[in-house]
Amino acid sequence: MVLPLLLLVVAACVALAGWALVFVARDRAVILRQLWGAAVIEGLILVQAVVLGVLGATGTAPSDPVLLWGYLVTALFILPVAALWAFAERSRWSSVVLAVAALTVAFLEWRLWQIWNA
Amino acid sequence: MSAPAAPDGTPRPRRTNTGFGRVLVAVYGIFALAATARAAVQLLRDWHEAPLAYALSALAAAVYVVATIALARGGAVARRVAWVAVGVELVGVLAVGAFSLADAEAFPRATVWSGFGHGYGYVPLVLPFVGLWWLWRTRPGAASQDDTPSTTSTRTTTDAPEDAA
Repeated sequence: MVLPLLLLVVAACVALAGWALVFVARDRAVILRQLWGAAVIEGLILVQAVVLGVLGATGTAPSDPVLLWGYLVTALFILPVAALWAFAERSRWSSVVLAVAALTVAFLEWRLWQIWNA
Repeated sequence: MSAPAAPDGTPRPRRTNTGFGRVLVAVYGIFALAATARAAVQLLRDWHEAPLAYALSALAAAVYVVATIALARGGAVARRVAWVAVGVELVGVLAVGAFSLADAEAFPRATVWSGFGHGYGYVPLVLPFVGLWWLWRTRPGAASQDDTPSTTSTRTTTDAPEDAA
């Protein structure tokens, strides 16, 4: 699992979470630009999925592909839900949710790394 | 964008699923997802390895799912269900946490609640306390004081923002 790509996703997640937490401190709700950031992360996760698929097809499969794909697919679902929340809750709490979601994706990426190397 | 959407001084309707409650529902949802996925993999693939631990995994998953739905709905019945679910969650994480430390032999495989949830940053240990606090804070009895839209009842949220950077 190409490490630079994974680190890029984690860095993007941490950056988005930090941005969201600044908004929490300023008592502001999620803005559209942050959701674009989340969309970029989603795109990166999709790229990861493609890379994984190619690696799997060419023979370098992980020891536990079911678990790996489970985590990857789960990671794809987290941020869109947070985005829906951002539209439903126009208060600082949407920013908290976005920060939690971004950190969750970062955690899932870390688990992906563990599973890949297991 | 519309900056001050909700003026913070106004008394919010006492619901379990708005404001901070939305964060709580989100975190519960994540744990419902994580625990369900984990339990599904454990039960379907390696049930024989550790039946007790995996049964508890499934129980934890069910509790999280029920708590998430109950908190998200927030009606009178849902509130009662949420009390029970979060209560079971608290007992579960304390009991399984204690047992997993005292008798590691019985828990050869991890559950969400093993070691008081240390595999998940101890969030499973903190979550039920937060859940119970939130249910208590939004209880209907307390709502009657704030229901009248008077300007004097300035019930600002005292939750400290987690400062970053």
